[in-house]
Parts: sequence; structure tokens; C-alpha cells
Amino acid sequence: MNKTWIVARREYLYNLKRPAFLFAVFGVPLFTFVMWVVIFAVTASNEESLDSFTQVGYVDSAGVLQNGVLPETAPDITPPELVAFESEESARAALDNQEIGVYFLIPADYISSGQVSTYSYSGIPRALRSYIQSLLLVNISRQTPGDIPLERIENPVNMSIHVADSGRDLTEANIPALILMPLVFAMIFMMASGVTSGFLMSGVVEEKTNRIMEILVTSVTPMQMLLGKVIGLGLLGLTQILVWGAAIVVLLNVGQTLPLLQGIAVPVDLMIVFVVYFILSYFLLSGLMAGIGAVVGSEQESRQWSSVISLLWVLPFFFITSFLSDPNGTLPIVLTLIPFTAPTTALLRLGFTTVPLWQIALSLAILLLTTIFTVWASARVFHWALLRYGKRVGIRELLRVIRKSPEAEISLAQSAQEGAR
Amino acid sequence: MQPETAIRVERISKTYGDFRAVNDLSFEVYRGEIFAMLGPNGSGKTTTMRMILDILKPDTGRIEVLGGILTDATKDKIGYLPEERGLYRNVRVLEMMEYLGTLKGLSSNEAHKRSLALLEQLDLADHAKKKVSELSKGMQQKIQFAVTVLHDPELIIIDEPFSGLDPVNTLALKDLVMAFRAKGGTVVMSTHQMWQVEEMADRLLMIHKGEQQLYGPVEDIRKRYALHAIVVEGQGDWAALPGVERIETVENGRKGTLLYLESQTTTDDILAAIATTRNMSIERFELAVPSLNDIFIRVVEEHGQ
Repeated sequence: MNKTWIVARREYLYNLKRPAFLFAVFGVPLFTFVMWVVIFAVTASNEESLDSFTQVGYVDSAGVLQNGVLPETAPDITPPELVAFESEESARAALDNQEIGVYFLIPADYISSGQVSTYSYSGIPRALRSYIQSLLLVNISRQTPGDIPLERIENPVNMSIHVADSGRDLTEANIPALILMPLVFAMIFMMASGVTSGFLMSGVVEEKTNRIMEILVTSVTPMQMLLGKVIGLGLLGLTQILVWGAAIVVLLNVGQTLPLLQGIAVPVDLMIVFVVYFILSYFLLSGLMAGIGAVVGSEQESRQWSSVISLLWVLPFFFITSFLSDPNGTLPIVLTLIPFTAPTTALLRLGFTTVPLWQIALSLAILLLTTIFTVWASARVFHWALLRYGKRVGIRELLRVIRKSPEAEISLAQSAQEGAR
Repeated sequence: MQPETAIRVERISKTYGDFRAVNDLSFEVYRGEIFAMLGPNGSGKTTTMRMILDILKPDTGRIEVLGGILTDATKDKIGYLPEERGLYRNVRVLEMMEYLGTLKGLSSNEAHKRSLALLEQLDLADHAKKKVSELSKGMQQKIQFAVTVLHDPELIIIDEPFSGLDPVNTLALKDLVMAFRAKGGTVVMSTHQMWQVEEMADRLLMIHKGEQQLYGPVEDIRKRYALHAIVVEGQGDWAALPGVERIETVENGRKGTLLYLESQTTTDDILAAIATTRNMSIERFELAVPSLNDIFIRVVEEHGQ
């Protein structure tokens, strides 16, 4: 077996079993799922509780219910029996005798004030409130002139927004999808690549501080080792994304009945762009992390660095409002072209607007070149720094290492110091 | 018959800035021997080992290992025990050994079997599922050596293998090294402990400030540094013998008297003189051969520490 694959396999299997990874992979979706179920249960219990009010009393001083029209209800809901009372006192007495669970008063000035009061011992479930609302709506709409459908009175505006240069039409139903999906993608991307490249860096630091590096470099070349690590952990990141992806599909199916999630579909074009950006930008991130891991002296220092670098990827989120108001403005375009912010920016923008093809192409090209350069430079630094312990490395020294061969560098750095003396 | 060469080092030099770590060093290591590298701290031993292993490249000079320039294939035939020990601390012993074995070209299956066999041999089979950090230092050192020979290398390069070990573990490790050699393996070892070299090594290289000081079979070197003196035990007035310049009582080790001879006097002259002198008897008569430790100190002092 090729040694790169041996390293890749080991990194994958070893880190797969880490508690931190297992928590990220299963804990996060599980937590979301539990939240979902709780929200669901709460909503459902509200619906069901209509059954506990089989008899609903009312006092109609305004005379709006005298036609006795009943609203349509969903087939699985049993509408309560309505009991009319002449006065509030008699309704109150029925409530106290538990003949009815609740009663409501429609005062004489209802048409002008809209005021309705309900009385019960246990509070009013949402389902009953909306039932009373529909009841009044169907009855007063009978008294309006003309044949305006009930639906229009209930929901007078159903706005659809057309962005002139966008291929997507935003209707109320799919606005959440278009805003949510890029956000979800960007978050998944950041978490997956953050977790795995963090593993990469801490692994390198561990091998260096444990001195096992000396044994490793007599078995594999630095390039094999770097590539093996990057590939193994990249596969780990993809595993994480797959698990989350599956979790999202399940959640969306479960959640179809929730109004917010209705109509959310995963746009295919967004998926493809996501995968391409993910792969390139993961290599960029892990190349950087490996190089830094080889140079820094301690686990602690490496963590500081990794949070600084992750910040670059998160940066576009701070500008999300400006993206929403002007997705094709200067700032979004600039951030699309900078390799570190490109993946998140592009995903966010693609949700709201059509990004010109040249921008995507240019952004990907810049990202690709930066990635190749970073991995290459990282391998050089990696080779050179593996056996250096306890010395702080200056940025100028690093630049020299990248320019010259790693071996020549050790003497070069020294003679440069001599020259300076 | 010329022995087969395992390592040939030709005039290598390595400079770190203005610090010359290794200077024009040449030597050979023969197959099947234990070759000791000696020298004070910072004399260039580890740098030389790293150059042999291709971790570092020499500025000038040429190194051949196992019949040619070091390739990836040759690397799999070498085991290296670095001075600063290196093991994964939070990984189970067996798992770690298997990984390092496959990196040296073993199949997963071979790596598994050989790791188990070695652990058995080292009396560590019960610890196979433990994490390295749970083991004692002596056990870790044994595991480290097991990792070095796991892939059945032809050559092992072990840097200060005995440092920090208690006498029991030192003995155990020494047996392992001797057993490796007995099976035909070649050993390059650096150490500070002179008696280890005297006991174990066939030939040695002593370097100081990156340059060769002594090089050759251990016995030859000891003889070369023989004093013009004799150690005797017995009765008689040693100082009165003709040709004896001065005498000294040997304090360390076995008791005796050290006779320094005048430059023209041979040992045979003294032996004859003792035989013909009345009231003298000898129980021991031998050339005064210094210990490697004495030689080591002398060489370092001569070249100015």
C-alpha cells in the first residue's frame, strides 16, 4: 500500500474515534433533532387540547353570530359545540358548574372595537383562539358587501419579489429556503473544515512535541505525510458532511408540517458549488494549518492560530445585512475574490442573487492557485520545521524557506544573521 | 577477507551557519558488527546519524547505506531509535506498533503478528491494549526498541539507547541489541557509557567537534593507547628493578602496582629481571591497558574541551 494512503487511513480511523469528532458529528444533529421534536410536541399538544373544550359558551351582544355559520376545520379536528347564553351571569354559572369549559363575550360595540373576551379556569389554547377567530371571520364576512372571498380578507397581501437580475423568484414560500440554505451550507462548511483542520494541526504539533516525528520522517517523506494527513482528514470532513446532510434530509421530511420549513428544497446548483468550494478551500485551510502546526511550538499556540484563521472564513457573516440589501455591491464582490472569504461569500450571495459567471470562475481560479501554492509552500515549511524545537520562527525566515530549498535554508538563515552582525 | 560494508561515509561536512557540526568525516560500518559512536555532547554524533538517515543532507560528501544512496526502499530496511524518544502517548501500544510497522512497509497482517510476537518476547503482551502513557519508563523504552526492530531491519541506528534506564532495564535492552546482532543485524549505536562500548562494540568511532579522533576496532584502540607500563601483583621491591622509572599503586578496581618503564626498557626485560631477582614473586603480570573512559578523557583534554 502506498504510504500516503497508510497515513491517510490512520488519520481517518484515529480521529473518527475521537470524542470531539463524535460529538460534532452526531451530537449537533441529535441536539437539533431533539429540539425539533420538542417544538413539534409543544405545537401538537396545543392542537390536541381543543378536545378538552367540547362545550364552548358565548354571549353575543353584538348579534354577529345570529346566522349561525360555522367555519371549516381540518378533518382531524372536532369542532367544539357552541352554546349560546343570554347573559354573562348565566354563562359564568355554567362555567362554575363545569357545564362548559370556556365562554367568550362579544360586546355590543364589537364591530367598531373588535374586542372579544374569553373566560376559563385553564387558559385558552391557540387552536381555540384561532377557532373563535375563524368563527367571527366567517360570520362578519357575510355582512360585508360584494363577493370578496373570505381568503382575501384573511390574507390581503401575498407578496412576490422579483429581483431583476436574478434567476430565482422570491415568493413567500421559498424565501426561507433561499436564505436558510446558504446559511446552513456556510455553517456546515465552517464546522466541518474547522474541526478537521484543527485535528490536523494538533496532530502535527503532537507528533512534533512527542518527537515521534523523527521516526516518521525516516519512514515516509514529508510530502507523503502531509498529503496523507490532508486526504485522511478531508475524508473525515466529508463523512461529517454526509452525516449532517442525511440529518438535514430527515429533519426536512419530519418538519414539512412546520410552516417555516414548507417548500424548502435543496437547490442542486448550490450543492455543486458548495462541494467544489468545500474541497478547494479545505485543502487551503489544512495546508495552512499543517504548516503552522509544524512551526509553532505548543498545542496552545496552535489553537490561537487556528481560531485566527477560522475567523477569516467567518468574516462574511458579519456583512450579511449588506449582502441582503446589495448582493452585487463592491464589498460582496471583493470578498468573493479573496480566497479565504470566497466560499462563504459565494454561498451566501448565490442564495440571494445570480452571481455573474466570471466572478465565480475568477474566484475559483484564485482559490485554486492559492491552494496549490499554500500546500506546496506548506510542504516545504513542514519539511524544514519538523526537527526544529523550541526556537521561534520569524516570518522573514519562513519566506526564505519557501523561496529556497528547505535544506539550504538552515545555513542561509544563519549566514544572513552573520551578515547582519 | 574484507568485510561487507553496511554504511560508507565519505568526507561529509555539515555546517549550521558558523557552527561546523561535522567536518570532513569518513568511516565505514561493516555488516553484522556493533559500531559505537562516541563523543562528548554536541560533538556531532546525532547530526551524523541524521545524515545517514537522510533526515539532514550533508553540505558536502557522500553517504551510502546498504549498498547505495538511501532510497525509500532502503529506508524500510533501517530501524531508528532517536535520542529523544518518540511514541504516541494516547494510542494503544498494539495499534501504534501496527501503524509504525505498516509505515515501514509491512502489511497490516504482518505488522499485527510481529507486534504481538515482539510484545510477547518482551514480556509486555499484557500491556498491548494499554495506552503508552500508562506504561512505566522502562516499558516505554522497550516498546521504543520494539518499534525500531519491528519491521525486521538489516540495520538499526540507536542514539543513546541506554540513557535514563535503570540497571535492570539496561541489561534487558543490551540483551535485545546483542540478540539483534546475533541474527546478523548491523548496529550503529551512540553512547556515553564507555563500559557498554567495551562490552558490546566491535569497532568504534570517536568524534570531537565534528572531527574524527579515534576510529577502529575497540581492542586496537585500547592497545594503541597502552601506557608504557605494566600492572603487577606480588611481593618485592618493584621500584628497585632496573628500567622502572616510577611506580604507582592502582587504587581503582583490582589491586596492583603500576610500573612505568624507561623508554628503552621492554616488558621482556622486566619479566627477566623479576625472574632473576631474589625475594620477588609475581601473581599477575600484564600490560597496562587504559579503559576507554581514560582514552576518551585523554583525547578530549588533548584537543582542548
